[in-house]
Amino acid sequence: MVKLRRTMMYVTGNNPANIMEAHLYGSDSIMFDLEDSVSLKEKDSARFLVYNALKTMDYGNVETVVRINGLDTQFGRDDLEAMVRAQPDIIRLPKTETKQDIIDVDNMIGEIEKQIGLEVGSTKIMAAVESPLGVMNAYEIATASKRLVAIAIGAEDFVTNMKTTRSPEGIELLAARSNLLMAARAAGIYALDTVYTNIKDDDGFMDEVKLIKQLGFDGKSVIHPRQIGMVHKIYTPTEKEIRNAVRVVGAIKEAESKGSGVIALDGKMIDGPVVDRAYRVLELAKASGVYKEEEQND
Amino acid sequence: MFGQNVEIRTINLNSVRERNEVDVFLQKQDLILERDVEYTLAMYDEDRIVGTGSISGNVLKCIAIDPEYQGGGFSNKIISLLLNEQYYRGNTHLFIFTKPRNKKLFLDLGFYEITSVDNYVTLLENDPRGLRDFTENLKLQKHEGKVVSSIVMNCNPFTLGHRHLIETASKNSDVVHIFVVWEDRSVFPNEVRYKLIKAGVKHLDNVYVHRGKDYIISNSTFPSYFLKEKNAIVKIHTMLDVKIFGEFIAPALGINRRYVGEEKSDPVTNEYNLTMKELLKDYNIEVVEIPRIKNNEAAISASRVRELLRTDDFESLKQLVPQTTFEFLISDEAKTIIGNIKNDKK
Amino acid sequence: MEIKKVGVAGTVESSDINIVIEPSDKKGIEIELQSTVMKQFGRQIKNLIEETLKSEGVESAVVRATDKGAIDFVIKARALTALYRAAEINEYSWEA
Repeated sequence: MVKLRRTMMYVTGNNPANIMEAHLYGSDSIMFDLEDSVSLKEKDSARFLVYNALKTMDYGNVETVVRINGLDTQFGRDDLEAMVRAQPDIIRLPKTETKQDIIDVDNMIGEIEKQIGLEVGSTKIMAAVESPLGVMNAYEIATASKRLVAIAIGAEDFVTNMKTTRSPEGIELLAARSNLLMAARAAGIYALDTVYTNIKDDDGFMDEVKLIKQLGFDGKSVIHPRQIGMVHKIYTPTEKEIRNAVRVVGAIKEAESKGSGVIALDGKMIDGPVVDRAYRVLELAKASGVYKEEEQND
Repeated sequence: MFGQNVEIRTINLNSVRERNEVDVFLQKQDLILERDVEYTLAMYDEDRIVGTGSISGNVLKCIAIDPEYQGGGFSNKIISLLLNEQYYRGNTHLFIFTKPRNKKLFLDLGFYEITSVDNYVTLLENDPRGLRDFTENLKLQKHEGKVVSSIVMNCNPFTLGHRHLIETASKNSDVVHIFVVWEDRSVFPNEVRYKLIKAGVKHLDNVYVHRGKDYIISNSTFPSYFLKEKNAIVKIHTMLDVKIFGEFIAPALGINRRYVGEEKSDPVTNEYNLTMKELLKDYNIEVVEIPRIKNNEAAISASRVRELLRTDDFESLKQLVPQTTFEFLISDEAKTIIGNIKNDKK
Repeated sequence: MEIKKVGVAGTVESSDINIVIEPSDKKGIEIELQSTVMKQFGRQIKNLIEETLKSEGVESAVVRATDKGAIDFVIKARALTALYRAAEINEYSWEA
């Protein structure tokens, strides 16, 4: 099964109401934030709250992500100690700039895993790139650890560093988004886009989602439940895409049943990326409720 | 982030423009941004203020939410942030003055009612044991007597006028309890004022001096922001103060008389005294006004003492204060305080 | 664990609980609770706060809590935060 990460909803780590209900809005992932949305005075309380939530709550199929503070701070190191033990699905590092950042955290997590008798490497991470240096090093970052399942772009700091601001067209982010995507694809991991902060501007939001989908991102970070449905709608495959995917999967099954190593459709050979895309289209279609497994048997 | 479609910002109180914005919003809710606020938050929807709240000492004040935004948990959010700010400042025992019609909101947020004055004002505190502990503690300091008197005083600083008032009370009572106003808004800090009074009444063995913490409501604490009742404000404040005194403090110590300094020239204090006289009747407490003693044809007052300190006129000053106060005023410890008096242009 | 100063955590927002922990001269843990669900859960909330403090080795404390419908893990998290602040301890031994 292909894991979908169309939407990752940000949830303030110090707000119990939000932590309790975040998974009910239908996003693929929820990200509990210990970093920017938590004031310096409340770092300890957010850490206790998210830790106890992960230990207690059943978030079902929703992927849980925790954004910790930077490891250049004591907060970040304390967060890591707590979160490797609380075991969300993914730990997200903010402001990654070099592969060494990833290697360091990989080692720190490994130490903790050993202490608690967890298999070394079982904790997964996601890196957020939020600076020009991080973007320039994107491929090295993306390949620095086997733990890494995704890289994400954080635009607010990035555009500030670039001496510009965000525009509706997103021209200022084009190079960074493209570079990050290529790094992710080359490394075989997911690429996630940044947040859109004006929750009242639906049109602007949808334009941006269409853009990043077209670029090739796996999904977008969202800051409000109302943004989730809009992303999912845009990521819903067309009927034509679904029909194609069904045919590709049919060809795979046929090849398997014949014991053939070569998959062919309409007399043409089908290779890896097309197969992957077909599975992904069907997952997207299933998640969007426009396709059910049984239809394959038609 | 999810759940937040409004933004809460800290107001820069040094900025006239920001203060003004909050003030304009509060005036629409029949309140004002009081001068003594030390910390103010405002909740914005885009760039429009839709709620606010402030801190002053251990009081939460100037709290209002745009009616359109009520019921959305926003007031809880503002009050939570004010509470947290107070805790970080080390203030854990907190008070709120509010309209009785709004008290439910605060009762639901961990506040407990101390008392109310008709439809005008309710005083709440966040510690259910606050007032109880205070009165229990007072009971331990009770002394039996037929006439048990009390004086509430600020003494900024302690003068011969104050001493005369206490001596008169002492002579005519079996026991005298002095409450020193604890609100730290006078140039002489509360502990200094307390110390000078204690030193100045050492010779009177039926006089007991207490720190008048929290439940003696000085007029500086009392919010001046109940706009519609502006003219009645002194009266409402007096009613609240007297009610707490009559209901809780006087019974704990068996107080049946209260002494006040006569204040014919100051209409505010005069009105306070008149109202108090009237109200304390209900608690069987008699109010006795004592005329001020004079020196060179003018009443001795703490403000005269501060005026003389400003000009370093220690010779004249010596005529107005007891030896104990005088010794303090010429000590090193007093230098900063006197410096502050001189710097205060008003 | 010794309580050195007043420690506070949590808010009075919906689903949260505000907990104030103070040192006490008396033995035992005294809890004053105000809750929106006092009738159904008052006892349970007090027990949970008391258990949480006791499991950290607290023998004496005065606790004031204002509950706005917090569920157990929130109560536990807030009690621990307030306690560690009150004890001025930064290191917590997280369990896997």
